[in-house]
Amino acid sequence: MNSLYLPKESFIHNLDPRTKMIFVAFVVLSSFILNDPALQLLFLVFLFPLVVAAKLVKPYLISMQFLLLFAVLIMTVHGIYNPIGVTPVFEIFGGLTFKYESMVYASVMSFRILVIGTAAVLFVMSTHPSDMASALVKWKVPHSFAFILLSTFQIIPIIAREAKIVMEAQQARCLDVKGNLIQRVKNLIPIFAPLFIITFMKVHQLSYVLECRAFSREGAKTSLRDTRIGYKDYAFLIGILLFLAIEIYLQLYLSGFLNLTTDALLTYSLIGTWVVFGFMILKFIFKRVQSLVGGVADA
Amino acid sequence: MEPYISVRDVTHVYSNGVTAIKDIDLDIYDNEAVAILGSNGSGKTTLVKHFNGLLKPTKGKITVGGLNTRKERISKLSSLVGYVFQNPNHQTFLPNVIQELEYGCKNLRMSEEEIEERVNKAVELFELENYLNENPFDLNSSQRKEVAMASIMAISPRVIVLDEPTTGQDHKGCQRILHLVRMFQKHGHIVVLITHDMHLIGELNCRTVVMHQSEKVADGHAEDVFADKRIMDLAGLQPPQITSLAHSLPFLNSNKTYLTIDSVLQSMKVNTEEGVKIVTRT
Repeated sequence: MNSLYLPKESFIHNLDPRTKMIFVAFVVLSSFILNDPALQLLFLVFLFPLVVAAKLVKPYLISMQFLLLFAVLIMTVHGIYNPIGVTPVFEIFGGLTFKYESMVYASVMSFRILVIGTAAVLFVMSTHPSDMASALVKWKVPHSFAFILLSTFQIIPIIAREAKIVMEAQQARCLDVKGNLIQRVKNLIPIFAPLFIITFMKVHQLSYVLECRAFSREGAKTSLRDTRIGYKDYAFLIGILLFLAIEIYLQLYLSGFLNLTTDALLTYSLIGTWVVFGFMILKFIFKRVQSLVGGVADA
Repeated sequence: MEPYISVRDVTHVYSNGVTAIKDIDLDIYDNEAVAILGSNGSGKTTLVKHFNGLLKPTKGKITVGGLNTRKERISKLSSLVGYVFQNPNHQTFLPNVIQELEYGCKNLRMSEEEIEERVNKAVELFELENYLNENPFDLNSSQRKEVAMASIMAISPRVIVLDEPTTGQDHKGCQRILHLVRMFQKHGHIVVLITHDMHLIGELNCRTVVMHQSEKVADGHAEDVFADKRIMDLAGLQPPQITSLAHSLPFLNSNKTYLTIDSVLQSMKVNTEEGVKIVTRT
């Protein structure tokens, strides 16, 4: 349980990691080709069935909450303050006006984050880290480089776990983590100092462990987990190519005629993110209150 | 007598849905030493993390020194319940031992004099006089463990929780821990031990709580708990070797549970003096 990988039996999980890497590259490329909020939103909707197919809906939504925070900030702040905006769309609290051009800009930016985030989450959660490394090696990436990538993926959850323990260990020494801002900045030292030391110790140990298992031996290495590109992968890749062609066609020939990005769409997507974000905050407050009330109820 | 720590019907469910402890009731009184036993993942650590508020109960109530842990800050509770983590590297980070000892008191904003007094007490208790200016990372692992313990003791909490204190310690280190636990008790502290070291518990001969699959399955004196074969088997515990040996020796009282080598030797001596003929089982 040292990575974000969630083992499931699904079409997406069974794809070769190389196919999925191409898929991520395709999504990144698409998010730049589709320079229109409406099309990006549509693209996001098209990606969702893949999340369903990978049986990752719940963990996907949980990780999206974090990205949604960025989306809300970008859409709100840019929508009001970005100087490229001239055409007012609507006004809140008297004086704060959302303008069309800035809203388009902000929506493109935030949908891009959501689209790329979706692909990244899909890739990381459905690909076993070792599979990814062995797939990279098949692409003639040096083995040690593939390992660096692999261990980076794996060390993040380890550091996160250690950070939690260090935090608790310092709290046990009466460190008050709930203070004012200056206090909190000061508190970073007692948490980060042991964390760095422990991480370095772990990395050092890891290098010994690797050497004990003949990591630096010259020559080709075999892999316990083999990955193979099969007909499913080819089908998936053809699908990607088709999609890419449609996107380019849309962007080159239809962008003048299609007028999907209306005021209403921009406004609804902005309000939509606010509503979802509001629900998240409500849920958070509800949980807080619940834990407080729980204590009183038993007293 | 009022218990110092009172755990009432406490359940803790982690955010991933795992129930780590279930309906635990436990009272810990002044001057007690309590060993908490159980296999890995049985909920020992989760239980004790409630004592200083690192975890709050999902259900139920815990009071420490009359304070409801749910309502108090961890920093406040930590001045009552000192928690020594298993790995001292998680706790130590300052450039020398003396600063390490002062750290907790400084967090509590004590006066200079008070800090000095408490630190001196801890230095004396742990006999750290010669290491005060050393960097904790230059010390060996048992010394570092002691520095971590001393840094908690400098806060002078009423309760001290030791999470697997003897793990990774050599024989001398283990003896030292045993000595320290007795010292803590003598100085009026409540000691809570999480351990797999049955020898340590045998020597301490203290109250023993056994956890199994998130529930408390036994709570009693080490002698009685070790004698209860059903509980020991259920929790997958093995009594100290000397207890098992003494149990199979025919010339010793089979109704008594022997926890230490000394107690066995003592009985044998009494037997010899009374002229009991020692026969070996055929």
